[in-house]
Amino acid sequence: MNPAAHSASLAEAIVFAILGAGVLAGGLMTITRRNPVSAVMSLVLSFAALAGLFATLSAHFLAVLQILVYAGAIMVLFVFVVMMVNREETTPVARQGLVMRAAGVLAAGYVFYRAAWLVGHERTLPLLAASATPPVKDFGTVASVGALLFSDFLFPFEAISLLLLVAVIGAVMLTRHFHESGPRVS
Amino acid sequence: MPTYAYILVSLALFFVGTAGVFLRRNALIVLMSVELQLAAGTLALLAFSRALGDQRGHVFAFFVMAIAAAEAAVGLAVVVSVFRTRRTTSLDEVNDLKG
Repeated sequence: MNPAAHSASLAEAIVFAILGAGVLAGGLMTITRRNPVSAVMSLVLSFAALAGLFATLSAHFLAVLQILVYAGAIMVLFVFVVMMVNREETTPVARQGLVMRAAGVLAAGYVFYRAAWLVGHERTLPLLAASATPPVKDFGTVASVGALLFSDFLFPFEAISLLLLVAVIGAVMLTRHFHESGPRVS
Repeated sequence: MPTYAYILVSLALFFVGTAGVFLRRNALIVLMSVELQLAAGTLALLAFSRALGDQRGHVFAFFVMAIAAAEAAVGLAVVVSVFRTRRTTSLDEVNDLKG
């Protein structure tokens, strides 16, 4: 391996390590913070780092969407609801029953089994060891993903817009005041 | 970076989200943990999409993102509506359907 390629792959590894650590640290802080506002802010950190990981996978369109949709729209929604319903938590963590402990140990064991399987198979499975960007023209750009969306996936695309409409109407119906039963205190 | 590195991050993120769903009792934090799980799935889709050189993974990641947005909207509406009648967001106190 020539020195230029080696330093490039080293820089790539450093960027990956920083972004991956950001994703996992943000996720861990999300589920450990007692204050929901800190949890939302940690989630924003996690999703921003995840957008960086998407960019390193040459998924440029999805990286921008991740920032716009997750770190933008969904997080604003969460912040609004946190401000509306923010209450001090008395018991943030569930009561630790025997069943929950067993389920947690089983889930963790399964995850570690899968991780060991992945690391063990990276040499034998070419799919898992692949590291180069595929030689497809315009891989992951808005133009090529958009062309795919509006040709092969036109029907699912229209169906998803209908799903979003249904979700909006459902959210409005769920949070609406019904004046027949008198105005509620809020 | 090789694909398995991304899959390991995705696996760890999914586990963090699952732990949040199991352990936390605040409905808002549980919803955030579900978002973490969905984001981990998106990362795995994109990693395999690059490994296979097939952009259909990107389209599926796009759909996962749209479904996550819809799920967040409806889930947060349910949280607000429950809070309005019960004055709580704790999942342990919303157990009227429990046998």
